[in-house]
Amino acid sequence: MDFEGEWLAAAPLPVPVDAIDAEELRFRITTRSDLEPLAASIGRLGLLQPLLLRAAGRGYTIVSGFRRLAACRQLGRREIPARVLSLAVTDACCARLAIGENALARPLNLIETARALALLTATAPDGCLPVEDAGALGLPAHAGVAARLMRLERLPAAVREGVQEGAIALAMAEELGRLAPDAASAFARLFRRLGLGLNRQREILSLVTEIAAREGRPVLEILTGHELEECLLDPAADRGHAAQQIRRRLHRRRFPAIRRAEEGFETLRRRLDLGEGLQLTPPRDFEGTCFSLTLSFGSLEELLELRGRLDALARNPALSRILKSKAEGFAPDPPPAGPRPPS
Amino acid sequence: MTIRELFIDAEAADHPQTAAIRSRLAVPARVVPGPAALFEEVRAADDPAGRGKQVLFLTRNRGAFLKACPGTRHYTCCGYRILHVGSYCTMDCAYCILQAYFHPPLLQYYVNQEDMTRELEECFSTPVIQRIGTGEFTDSLIWEPWTNLSRGLVQRFAAQRRAVLELKTKSVNVAGLLDLDHRRKTILAWSLNTERVIREQERGTAALGARLRAAAAGAAAGYPLAFHFDPVVIYDGCEAEYREVAERLFAAIPPEQVVWISLGAFRFMPDLKALIQRRFPDSRIVYGEFITGLDGKARYFKPLRIQVLRSLARAIREFAPHCCVYLCMEDDEVWRHSLGFVPAERGGLPRMLDSAAARHCGVEEG
Ligand code: SF4
Repeated sequence: MDFEGEWLAAAPLPVPVDAIDAEELRFRITTRSDLEPLAASIGRLGLLQPLLLRAAGRGYTIVSGFRRLAACRQLGRREIPARVLSLAVTDACCARLAIGENALARPLNLIETARALALLTATAPDGCLPVEDAGALGLPAHAGVAARLMRLERLPAAVREGVQEGAIALAMAEELGRLAPDAASAFARLFRRLGLGLNRQREILSLVTEIAAREGRPVLEILTGHELEECLLDPAADRGHAAQQIRRRLHRRRFPAIRRAEEGFETLRRRLDLGEGLQLTPPRDFEGTCFSLTLSFGSLEELLELRGRLDALARNPALSRILKSKAEGFAPDPPPAGPRPPS
Repeated sequence: MTIRELFIDAEAADHPQTAAIRSRLAVPARVVPGPAALFEEVRAADDPAGRGKQVLFLTRNRGAFLKACPGTRHYTCCGYRILHVGSYCTMDCAYCILQAYFHPPLLQYYVNQEDMTRELEECFSTPVIQRIGTGEFTDSLIWEPWTNLSRGLVQRFAAQRRAVLELKTKSVNVAGLLDLDHRRKTILAWSLNTERVIREQERGTAALGARLRAAAAGAAAGYPLAFHFDPVVIYDGCEAEYREVAERLFAAIPPEQVVWISLGAFRFMPDLKALIQRRFPDSRIVYGEFITGLDGKARYFKPLRIQVLRSLARAIREFAPHCCVYLCMEDDEVWRHSLGFVPAERGGLPRMLDSAAARHCGVEEG
């Protein structure tokens, strides 16, 4: 790295706040926007660390210190101490200084890391990530990981914000990146609102995209349809309850016949009135042909009592209905008479 | 897809079959010391399953040519034997298991047919009825433009009386077989599906009408025929459309010439899902109501399978009441509810099919 001399040579000077171009965000790494604690600290102790600026025409652009400038502005300061780099300092040098000031002072979040990597790449003379410099600056030095992270920069704002606040994992952000931006944003808003873990997010993503594919509708239409909106608008529902409702509705829409069968089976199982000590379990996904009945008892008397109930269970028409209607998906009541299967 | 390059295993370079194929396939050819570099190249392609259809590797089969059909104990298998003449396919069906079955998926053709003949002769000497097919690891008739494979097989099977050969295809490549004295020991078979499934899922295959015309030509040449409704795909309106296919089938083909018809609901190894999503982004075939079957494959929820298979079986029975209809890889519950009986009542599925082969093809035990 070749900027050490420039940096050391630039002694802090007072610079008029109005001469600094606060709109030029090229070297901004931080995603933090809260100013209050910083402004309070500056108000009490003064600005302990000067800004790093680069001369630009008659004014300056910021290399490092975006939040410090904003806080000083909020405090009504007219001048601010800054080291000033000459116009001759290259973008690549400025990028390294900006990243170094941030990355070496505190852990960067994923979006900041992505920004830093993208900045290093964009300012490299050959347009490729200087992997060794990245490592020296505390950034991921593996080209594959860096490429994954840099893709975050191109995601819609809602997804980036979700990643930034820890509500959306990198893996999920990447999956969202494969969707249309409006759909990705809608998912991100939903996930942030529901506070779901990665597995639940994946489940919802897959249910919604598969429903969309199945029904030939846009993903956004499913996500913003009244079916899900209702769950989110229910004032009585907390986040956990809303998430459960949404999953249930999506499952029903994605697997209507399976859901109907599950409900039909439940209705019939209730009619069996099994009570304590007896448990009827259907084959997994109703695919196999064996049901299992579990007897739980702690004494001989209880076992004898269960034996009596078993006899009654075997005579219960609901059990025979369960066995007979399995192939048709457990319609709780027999269908009207129709044609018989061919023989 | 068309073959763009021919790779020849050095060990197969001097084989007369290799020379014959080279003379008929006008693409650049390269002799390679072994498959490793080619496998690597196919694996490294953006779309290995697509790339594998553009290169043909001529090699020797170092394993057995005859193999048992890979059934599972949970579902009833037909007891078929596979004649492994080559692998993969030039057509491109979204649901094709071969995309995920071979690593990498690659067109391979085995030139050492003298070994195959030896195995077949041994098999013919076993005193039981055998049903043998080439359409498990490849489409049986894609090789016709460049080889005499099926002609040779038809003639070989015609010269014995214990085994039937089933050539299963979605192509119309039967012209080279029609003049042969087949002695009814070869069954020409077509996979059938609805127009919609063919259009949306079966890239590069022959249209339904063309398949039926080719089958009619086979029937006119006296061949016994078979049809496979596999995969049966469930979608809104599918039952009416499958019925229509059955109706068209029997408008084109005399039912008495049909040895058997199989019905198989769409099922797939879980790995195939992501591959289909990537290679066929417009296909909706993997978004049905699937559960995990007892064999680990994704299968339609059982009541849905029963409903569609029952409706299709009824349609077939309406047009061909005496035809042998069977289910591919289903359990007794599905048999009972869709066909009205279970295989054990008729001696088991292999027995049912052997009897049909005996009736139609004149094969016999002993
Ligand atoms: S025709 Fe058969 S072998 Fe060929 S791609 Fe289709 S399913 Fe696969």
